[in-house]
Amino acid sequence: MVAIAATYGYFLLFAEFALLELAKPWFSGELALRPLLTMLCAGGVAGSFLAASHFRLDRFQSALAGGFAGCALSAIATVFAGRAELWLTIAGVGLSLGWTTVTLSAGLRSVVGAKRLGLWCGLGTGLAYAIVNLPVAFEATPVVQTEISAGLALLGVWAARNMHPGSVEIPARERLNWLLWGLIFLALVWLDSAGFYILQHTPHLRAQTWTGSWILYGNAITHLVGAVVAGFALDFQLITVTAGVAMALLAAADLALGGAAGTFAGARVLYTAGVSAYSVALVYYPAWRARPLLAAALFAVAGWMGSALGIGMVQDLHAIPAWFVGIAVVFVFSSLVVSGIQRRKSAMLAAMVIGVFGLASGKTRADDGMIARGREVYIAEGCITCHSQYLRPNVAQEILWWGPAQPLTERLTETPPLLGLRRQGPDLTNVGNRRSPEWQRLHLIGPQLLTPGSRMPSYAGLFEAGGSRGDSLVVYLSSLGPETIGQRMASITKWEPSANALASAPNERKARQLFIQLCAACHGPEARGDGPLSAKLTLKPPDFSHDAWRRIAPDDSSPLTAITKIIKFGVPGTTMAGHEYLDDADVVNVARFLSRLHR
Amino acid sequence: MSSNRDRGRHADISHVVARHTFGWLAAGNAVGVLLAALLVWPALNSALGSWTYGRWIPLHLDWQLYGSCALPLVGVLLAWCVDVRHPQAVGQARIALGAWSLALALGGLSWLSGISSGKPFLEWHGWARPLLPVAMLFLWSLLSAHVWWRRDQFSQAGCAARIGLLIVLLVVPNAVHWAAGRDVYPSVNPDSGGATGARLLASTLGIVAIYGFIAEVLGISRKNRRAWYWGYFLCSVLVCIAIEHGDASHHETAQIVGLATLLGWLPLAWTYFGGSNGEPAARRWWAAAFGWWAALVLSGFWTFLPGVSERLKYTNAMVGHAHLAMAGLVTCANIAVLVELRGLKALRHFWLWQGACVVQVAMLLALGWFEPDHWDDVFLAARWTQAIYAVRLLTGVALLGVSIVWWWQSLRGEKTENAGAS
Repeated sequence: MVAIAATYGYFLLFAEFALLELAKPWFSGELALRPLLTMLCAGGVAGSFLAASHFRLDRFQSALAGGFAGCALSAIATVFAGRAELWLTIAGVGLSLGWTTVTLSAGLRSVVGAKRLGLWCGLGTGLAYAIVNLPVAFEATPVVQTEISAGLALLGVWAARNMHPGSVEIPARERLNWLLWGLIFLALVWLDSAGFYILQHTPHLRAQTWTGSWILYGNAITHLVGAVVAGFALDFQLITVTAGVAMALLAAADLALGGAAGTFAGARVLYTAGVSAYSVALVYYPAWRARPLLAAALFAVAGWMGSALGIGMVQDLHAIPAWFVGIAVVFVFSSLVVSGIQRRKSAMLAAMVIGVFGLASGKTRADDGMIARGREVYIAEGCITCHSQYLRPNVAQEILWWGPAQPLTERLTETPPLLGLRRQGPDLTNVGNRRSPEWQRLHLIGPQLLTPGSRMPSYAGLFEAGGSRGDSLVVYLSSLGPETIGQRMASITKWEPSANALASAPNERKARQLFIQLCAACHGPEARGDGPLSAKLTLKPPDFSHDAWRRIAPDDSSPLTAITKIIKFGVPGTTMAGHEYLDDADVVNVARFLSRLHR
Repeated sequence: MSSNRDRGRHADISHVVARHTFGWLAAGNAVGVLLAALLVWPALNSALGSWTYGRWIPLHLDWQLYGSCALPLVGVLLAWCVDVRHPQAVGQARIALGAWSLALALGGLSWLSGISSGKPFLEWHGWARPLLPVAMLFLWSLLSAHVWWRRDQFSQAGCAARIGLLIVLLVVPNAVHWAAGRDVYPSVNPDSGGATGARLLASTLGIVAIYGFIAEVLGISRKNRRAWYWGYFLCSVLVCIAIEHGDASHHETAQIVGLATLLGWLPLAWTYFGGSNGEPAARRWWAAAFGWWAALVLSGFWTFLPGVSERLKYTNAMVGHAHLAMAGLVTCANIAVLVELRGLKALRHFWLWQGACVVQVAMLLALGWFEPDHWDDVFLAARWTQAIYAVRLLTGVALLGVSIVWWWQSLRGEKTENAGAS
């Protein structure tokens, strides 16, 4: 367990973080680091195959101890290396890490046996993730992280010296052949690396995922629990279920990164648990097979190449295309279904991922570049002229409509702050928590289609072929305040229409007039879900004359209040936008009108 | 004693200043009318291609600020510093003003192209960022050269005053360039997202200083009120220095009291300028300017107060307040200055301008007052809001028409009768 924790901890803390941070001063820009990553990858692959070709069970202890010692030495050397020496030390890191990983995988079963192999893998992997996520390690300087990693490697030397390998039991039967497993793990690592890169390079996502002691402790616990549970499952021969669950969690998290679910805050747990689950399986599978060459091939193809492909894809596309996630999901679940075991569960998981998050929800975009470009478009088009991005903390009305307020100090860190002078339209401080990317796009193309009477110009020109200005603007707007969705939901939950509004007499004529003006474009003039824009919506509006309420439970004690909340605040994460500026009487009036239409 | 030729050259320079001033006033107002029309008929945006509403706003704001509002002050500097004995003096002033206008025109092009800093009134960005500072430096060089040539004409105090002013003016282009940077932002009232009391006080004292200085240069101030004017100015500056300069709220007593000191300028400005012994044709413009000044100070203080600020911030009331300052106070004061400089004959349509301004400002203030209770009407273009915007458009057309007439007058060379021949 200590050896697994040391290997994985070294990889996560040093190879993925500290090493790159130490190299940055010598290489300006992300892309300049690519050759270094290639060197690391090449070293890793070489080390893996070298270890596989030289593996002998009787020399397992010394080989493993040597690998750990190499890891420790190359880590320490990196701290003192100049630009030229970095190439050597990075190659050394890759070589020794590849060697250690394959050696450990190939000999692990001989040390702990097959019965509890999954549990030990889960504990070791979970412990590594937990250590790395502890604030003391996570928030340390790169040099300190390197020292911790070197310490872990030295711990690995100690563990290796105290191992007592026995005989190896070769597994009787494989459910899937090794090639298919290689591809499954490749897809998992690819998705993980791409998602990880986006999280790391998108300030608000990074803040949601890794900022603050509580979040880090939470991550550590989630990792540990997820890994141990996965380990138990593996010991019960549930490797297909483990891989399927990991795939579902990672795909859901990657889709949530692009705002399909409005925010990543909730998906953070999915991502963390998904990573733990597949990581344990990735350690377990080659250890269970106990074949050095297989371990080398798996780590070379799935581990090193999967990481490089995932990071490279996001660096170039600035996104995880939804179609890619879809293909990955379909491939992995098809492969698992082929095994003939857990078919129903696997299919259900796939359906859950695709159904809940919706592959057609657009690309998952979260890169800084796109947001920055969108902000430039916002400035160039003079959006600041009509839209503020500042909520006054003492004005309850605007906090309710567009809140929560954000501290001034935070707003002033932007260059330049776009506080605005005038509100010809709503405040946009948190527009990302109340308008979906799909709504933004439709609204920018034809504001009067969605909001008849709006004085906003059409920005259809931004979306013309060959340009990305419109999409960038949508991404920028969607990046405004999605992290505040929790506070907004709390505020919506608390809100109720005023007693006066509830007591007011229904005014069918005015309600119909408002419905036609504000709702008919999507819902249709008779609320049959056939408005002119409905064909452009991913989630079609319901036909109120036939369909059941989607978001109101049959036993809801106050369906009218529930409808008023939807009219006023919309349904966050969907294209159903709120009409925050309507007064309570109008909202109640329209809600009653809709209740009468609904059968 | 100035010769007729010298007076004529002074008038010629002022005349060139008037042409540029009214040219930019008309241009700024034309953009204002376009903006007002786009609010009434948003569909017109489609006819403008990518030059939609938001891209025109900087042209309206900055052409007024750096064009029609700033250029008469440039005229005062030219009158104070330029050596009209120099045979090329008028031509040089023409080039300096041409460079200034070219900077504004190119700036407008850059904003229409979407190149903007994103900071209202300081949109100079990218290749356009150095344009105005360079034009300012060119003007500064011209003024410095002429002060040097004229040094034998000045008294010791007059020479020192000019050199002192030139040193201060050297800061301006650098300050404009620096302030246009995206990483520079002034203090903000955390409870409104707008200016703090200290900032409002400082900017208003800047106006007080500029017009006080102009009155001195033009010789139209009451000598026996000078001590009161500048004494109170010094006290106000001390108050401004004393109050919080960071991100202070309008709920803080010191900010309110500091801004309240501006009320003292109502009697002081009246008594300082009231005995104007300058051009008779300028008097009614000074009187109108004072009326607008009183309205500006009172409304500015009122809208800053807790409760009122919460209601009016981000509404059309603040747009009305800005129009009150620019179309009301500054335009009237600057026309008075141009008349005093003898670059203009009495301008036509005084009452039409004042009337259109009053109606427009009143309508915008009224709309702003009701907006917080009827945001839905504003966002969805309810009829009553359309009606007010239509009135705004009509008054805007009136202001544009008058400014075109004024420009036409300046182009035709209608100077004051006692100005000499060029």
